[in-house]
Amino acid sequence: MRGFGRQCRGQGRIFVTLVRHTERQLLALGQPIHALGQRAQQLLAQADDINEAQREGLAMQLTAALGAHGHIRQQSGRLTQGKKLRHCKLVNAYDLTIAPILKGKSNCPAQFGRKPGIISEPATGFIFANHVPAGNPSDLSYVLPLLDKVQSAIDRVRSPKQLQVHSVAGDLGINDTALRQALHARGILTIGIPKTVAPINPTPTTEEILDILNKAGSSCQRTPDQVQLACTAGYSRPVVESHIASLLSRGAGQVRYKGLQGAVVQQGMTVMAHNGATLMRIRQQHLSKRAQKFRRLLGLRHRNVTQINDPKN
Amino acid sequence: MRLVRYLQHWLSGIGPRLQVADFVPDSHPIRQWADTFPWAALVAAIEHRFAQRCPKRSLCGRAPIPLRVLLALELLKHEVGASDEDMCHRLRTDFAVMYACGLREYQAPRSQAHFVLPETLSEFRGRIDEALMDELMAIQAAAAMDEGLVSPAHLVVDTFPAEQGSQRVTDATTLYKAQKKPLNSSTASPGDAAARPPS
Repeated sequence: MRGFGRQCRGQGRIFVTLVRHTERQLLALGQPIHALGQRAQQLLAQADDINEAQREGLAMQLTAALGAHGHIRQQSGRLTQGKKLRHCKLVNAYDLTIAPILKGKSNCPAQFGRKPGIISEPATGFIFANHVPAGNPSDLSYVLPLLDKVQSAIDRVRSPKQLQVHSVAGDLGINDTALRQALHARGILTIGIPKTVAPINPTPTTEEILDILNKAGSSCQRTPDQVQLACTAGYSRPVVESHIASLLSRGAGQVRYKGLQGAVVQQGMTVMAHNGATLMRIRQQHLSKRAQKFRRLLGLRHRNVTQINDPKN
Repeated sequence: MRLVRYLQHWLSGIGPRLQVADFVPDSHPIRQWADTFPWAALVAAIEHRFAQRCPKRSLCGRAPIPLRVLLALELLKHEVGASDEDMCHRLRTDFAVMYACGLREYQAPRSQAHFVLPETLSEFRGRIDEALMDELMAIQAAAAMDEGLVSPAHLVVDTFPAEQGSQRVTDATTLYKAQKKPLNSSTASPGDAAARPPS
């Protein structure tokens, strides 16, 4: 367990003998915990001076504590015997949902923490939803929950204009046949998800556009213009790194709140703060030329805040 | 005015009330940032969810701190990269933060150190669950789409690592604490216990 985290980054040594010695002492100290826990459960069931709700709450906490201790004890026992641990090992005694992250850093041991996912608009960087799962699942598992959250936001829109998700772009991590079929079934183009490391062609020919529409199937009712924009969005997918950098500058790179719920709240609040700054930039027209052109092609109106066209008073 | 009435136990200073908006120019970044949020819808969603999860059993007691203030402080905290303590201090002294929190008038005694305690902000955060967080983000996105500022037509998905930075508990720390505890209990004499003030 000492191999994880910032303390061991770089050329630091891992003191295996010290770790094993410490683990043995801890296991010896914690030997009677199981018996004590069972005794405590019996006494709790017999206690008369607390009400039923308190008893249930205490019993639940006690069961959770005993379960966590059993998990730690099992893992520590394997460590002291010099056996290799399985992939999803416990790295924090107080939060079993934290897992090693096998991405992001190439010159140091694996970090442990969480892997939030975001779904954003490539032109301006507005983040429609985020997803903070327990553990470290594959990137594939993020796409559909994120799209469901975007759909719930679309359902709240009161304007008569029909809003839909036309295409989704991503990296090679979400390149999966089953996912593509699920997205096509929802009427979403997947041209923005690459199949190789080669960049996506931003200006496909008419034949290529027809080919893309045919591959998407009959349920995908998209126009050639939308395919063209999807290719452009897929080509400029790396711009999502700037959205992530904006979140990291607001402290999203380090989870400071406790537990999975704390991580969800911290990431959510960071995303909302980022979105506020993004909307401010849009209103002030502080956008790149590419973003302005993309917005024009999407038919998003230009709000000139310095000009009063129709004063109401 | 409803907000001011809730805060009247803090805003009880003497002299004329200061208009917060007069002190924050239109071009101030925090003012412009705060004006992008659909506050009414966000606060209504939080009120609804809190009423479901933590129903109020009694009407007695002091009126609670407005959710608008707590939500704005929490969002501002992530926008400016400050701590809970810093944000609560700035609410007392910074007119731009007061504007973002929806306070329109200001009148407070000098002896009052805080309008909101950091512990209150922490409690507010602890009541927010994943469903409510998703709802708040959906409300913000829907408001932006309603205004025609953003479109969900073409989207990009990606993930990024966020390491756990709060509490690094190592085995050595746990062993140190476990060894220290029986040592302290054995060295403490009955006389020392009697000399301690009652808790």
